[in-house]
Amino acid sequence: MSSAQLEIQLIASLVAIACAIPGTFLVLRKMAMISDAISHSILPGIVVGFFITQDLNSPLLIVLAALTGVITVVLVEQIQKTGLVKEDTAIGLVFPALFSIGVIMIAKNANDVHLDVDAVLLGELAFAPFDRLLISGVDVGPKSLWIIGIILLITIGLLFAFFKELKLSTFDAGLAASLGFSPVAIHYGLMTVSSVTTVGAFDAVGAILVVALMIAPAASAYLLTTDLKKMLFLSMFFGVFSAISGYWVAHWLDASIAGSITTMLGLLFLVVYLFAPSKGLIAVMYREKQQKIEVSLLTFLLHLKNHTEENERHVNHLREHINWQKIRAKTVVDLALKNNMVTIDNHIVSLTKKGDEFTSQAIDYIITNEDAQIEDMKDDFFLFRG
Amino acid sequence: MSSKIAVQVDDLTVAYNYKPVLWDIDLEIPEGVLMAIVGPNGAGKSTLIKSILGILKPIAGSVSIYGKSYDKQRSLVAYVPQKGSVDWDFPTTALDVVMMGTYGSLGWIKRPGQKEKKAALEALEQVGMLPFKNRQISQLSGGQQQRIFLARALVQDASIYFMDEPFQGVDATTEIAIINILKALRKANKTVIVVHHDLQTVPEYFDWVTFLNVKKIATGPVKDIFNDDNLTKTYGINYKVSIQK
Ligand SMILES: Nc1ncnc2c1ncn2[C@@H]1O[C@H](COP(=O)(O)OP(=O)(O)OP(=O)(O)O)[C@@H](O)[C@H]1O
Ligand SMILES: [Mg+2]
Repeated sequence: MSSAQLEIQLIASLVAIACAIPGTFLVLRKMAMISDAISHSILPGIVVGFFITQDLNSPLLIVLAALTGVITVVLVEQIQKTGLVKEDTAIGLVFPALFSIGVIMIAKNANDVHLDVDAVLLGELAFAPFDRLLISGVDVGPKSLWIIGIILLITIGLLFAFFKELKLSTFDAGLAASLGFSPVAIHYGLMTVSSVTTVGAFDAVGAILVVALMIAPAASAYLLTTDLKKMLFLSMFFGVFSAISGYWVAHWLDASIAGSITTMLGLLFLVVYLFAPSKGLIAVMYREKQQKIEVSLLTFLLHLKNHTEENERHVNHLREHINWQKIRAKTVVDLALKNNMVTIDNHIVSLTKKGDEFTSQAIDYIITNEDAQIEDMKDDFFLFRG
Repeated sequence: MSSKIAVQVDDLTVAYNYKPVLWDIDLEIPEGVLMAIVGPNGAGKSTLIKSILGILKPIAGSVSIYGKSYDKQRSLVAYVPQKGSVDWDFPTTALDVVMMGTYGSLGWIKRPGQKEKKAALEALEQVGMLPFKNRQISQLSGGQQQRIFLARALVQDASIYFMDEPFQGVDATTEIAIINILKALRKANKTVIVVHHDLQTVPEYFDWVTFLNVKKIATGPVKDIFNDDNLTKTYGINYKVSIQK
């Protein structure tokens, strides 16, 4: 691995971490779309900054662009406040407008500089290592690495300092306000961090990848954990994983790095969405099927409990009576047998003591909905897990 | 009940997008009462509480808590929002939600520690939710979620409690458990203000009541003012309620 390769992966990983932190909170606040808006509408900020400074590397560019990001949020909120349109519509109105202003400004005035729309949307990670930061003539590394590194440090510092405030105001803005933690200040703090991160990252990785890095890892992590801290760590891990694997995929396929990373993020989300243990699609489908069987099991047990006469408990009669198809009946009887809830003696099914107790308990639960009694049954049966 | 005024509201008018939903409210809540706020849906009950707690900015009027502005008296006040106002899929546990009640006394930046955790566990115990402390909040039933919110307010150890529909969607057992906790608070000379929808239980649960429907209709002791006249003025229809003394 050459040092340029290493630097690209390092930059991509730092960008991924810097994006995952605000991204987690954006996802939890159901504000994923706003990162899209910010990433596109900062363009006019950058262009204006460039006109003023005539220098693509001026820090003023970052400040102005971040400011445009925050202005975007304010505009969206003002439009939303009129009550005429919903938030997503407001976002859809604001960012294309600002983005196209940026595009027109570039087309009219800045044709000769390296500011083109493709670069804005896709970035060019491959070139990032060539833009070096020189301090009194000494090469200290790629400029993007420094920019994103500093932004990341600040973000982590803010996260440590204000974790409790962020959590509270994300979960319950009303309580936050009543306790004196201004949710408005926290909201704009988060928007500022998101804007600054977007600006700092997008020169290297482009607007689309910034959005993908903010949302996809957090959305994947959300499906996997019920703990905010774990969600943060998982999103960072997913971001870095996609960044590095995406880099190598691009390397082998000779494709765009940003494009490959975005693809990896999409694949990652797809895998998690399908296979997440409790919230994933397959788990949910399996659970529903299981619940169906368990309801059948309960119906079956209840029937046995209510009928002591032998002819009602004959295997064949049960089949006719409960009116199940052969397969379903077999699944249910097998499940009951496996759990030692019934015994079959000469084609007559009888409840065991365990089966009898289970039935009473389950019926009790269904009627009273009192949780405490069935805590121990939750491990074995889906039906009781809400 | 002493004669001190816990909460005073003067000429309060609150609007959303310039449309007033509360008009010129004057209200004095004496210390140590257990008060119901009643009124139809959309009457502005939640809005009143939010404005008292500084969550909403009124367009006119003022609020004082024991004679001083809310900002100075925050630590005396606890709040239970309407249950539907938060996202119960948020990745956190019952214990963690209750701990949030301690954030106010911690202030900015400082993290909760053992002391806060202990207080939260005690509050969970008080509402009978200790066995569920590590349960993810979406895995709790509606009544359990309501108890968690109550525990979160208890942990604030305040003098005045504002509760927005704490009985919403709870079964009879939980309702009794909650009202007993509220009555215990009143015994400790705390002031408890509860948005309440079940008119039948007002005389049994509360000693003070405020009728609200955009304007304040009446406020005072249940035994004096909880009558058909005020109910009709508030709800617009003749409400037949059996009032038991
Ligand atoms: N965020 C908001 N924006 C605009 N209007 C609002 C907002 N919140 C409430 N309102 C309006 O203000 C009025 C009072 O609402 P509020 O929530 O205070 O009523 P409430 O008495 O608590 O009703 P409920 O019994 O349904 O909880 C209603 O007409 C409502 O539509
Ligand atoms: Mg309300």
